[in-house]
Amino acid sequence: MVNTKILTSDFNYHKPNNLTEVFKLITEYGTGARLIAGGTDVIPGLKYERISTKHLINIADVQELRYIKEDQGFRIGATTKLIDIKKFFADKKEYSGFYEAISSIAKIQILNMGTLGGNLCTASPAADSAPALLTFEAKVVLSNGKNQREVAINNFFTGVQQTVKKDDEIMTEIIIPPVADQVGSSFRRMVRVAADISKISCAILVNRSKNICHSAKVAMGAVATTPIRLYQVEEMLINQSIDEKILTNIGKVVSEVIQPITDIRSTENYRKQVAAVLFKDVFQIAWQKAGVQ
Amino acid sequence: MDKNNHIIQLIVNREPTTLLVASNELLINVIRDRLGLTGTKYGCGTGQCAACTVLVNGQPVLGCLTLAVSVDGAEIVTAEGVAAPDGSLDPIQDAFIGNAAIQCGFCTPGMILVSKNLLESSPTPSEDEIREHIKGNLCRCTGYNGIVKAIKSCTSEKKRTELSTL
Repeated sequence: MVNTKILTSDFNYHKPNNLTEVFKLITEYGTGARLIAGGTDVIPGLKYERISTKHLINIADVQELRYIKEDQGFRIGATTKLIDIKKFFADKKEYSGFYEAISSIAKIQILNMGTLGGNLCTASPAADSAPALLTFEAKVVLSNGKNQREVAINNFFTGVQQTVKKDDEIMTEIIIPPVADQVGSSFRRMVRVAADISKISCAILVNRSKNICHSAKVAMGAVATTPIRLYQVEEMLINQSIDEKILTNIGKVVSEVIQPITDIRSTENYRKQVAAVLFKDVFQIAWQKAGVQ
Repeated sequence: MDKNNHIIQLIVNREPTTLLVASNELLINVIRDRLGLTGTKYGCGTGQCAACTVLVNGQPVLGCLTLAVSVDGAEIVTAEGVAAPDGSLDPIQDAFIGNAAIQCGFCTPGMILVSKNLLESSPTPSEDEIREHIKGNLCRCTGYNGIVKAIKSCTSEKKRTELSTL
């Protein structure tokens, strides 16, 4: 039985003021160190002893990592608070799928604490920001202080709580590329109570002209070991004339291509059945938005 | 000073205070056990119930998932700091009493703080906005309707005050 009132693990706390200090600490303590930003995953992880660390490095106040810049799309510093992203994207209609995903994360307290980089680096299959970022073909920037590299978000996650980020690297930035005209996007998720972790989530971005779907990006959360793009489904949508029937048929394919598990939140069967309906609903919302713009 | 103990300065309910805290000390325990402000409740301890909500620099956060050392320099408001210094209740507190928004009372401190935060950022929220803002604060007694009614009543009161001052 875990006592969740206290933290039993003992660690040294470091609060670097800039990136140079962050990398110095990472070099010094190596795998014995753990980064923390919002703490909404790390602290429960420490309480349940899912993670342990001798050195906790709090990067929440490193100002170089907190920004949203408009630069051929958007560049978001990794420790930018979710609440600031929500506010910033509230009136960015072309990015409404991303806005809806961020807005749906947990509750106001978590939005005030959590960061976008944290949501991604925790690498939960149910991370709500991930499916939306997958549909926008976002990139993340990983840096070890000497070299930095850009990784497409669909190559970032490798498994449950696993990513391509190396131990000496941190995520510094998330890049959302510009979107084409005639684009609409949406994100929806299924939960038991409003502030829950998603049972299943879906983000779709469509490129539409009149009744033809030029292309679509379809991504889902909590249906595999990582958030995933459904490329097979996307191919079926290219240059298709959209009606109720084709969406119902493709919905059936959605149920077949995903590989959900049964866990405390839902059964495999539930997720497969709901996926078809969720796909259809989210597609129709994105489709309508693309028609309006 | 080693890396395991830290001197932090906080302003808690308008009172500046200096504390020596351990690296792994949580804000909720500093508030409850060290400062004796037991209005802040320990519910689940894992960020699910929000009974431990406090305002840090005006924004609601979870005391049970916040390291005390990480809020060094911050201004903190707990349930005890909502009323005026002379003890007279804040309108939102009166509204909770007047609308039977309190039953067992365990969620009330957190509810009051998120409500106050909502009314400060958006003085005339719709019912949907109210329910969205308080959705993370679990209440197992009231069914939420009394709470929503209480917040709504403050909205109209604010509206009336604003109109009368125009």
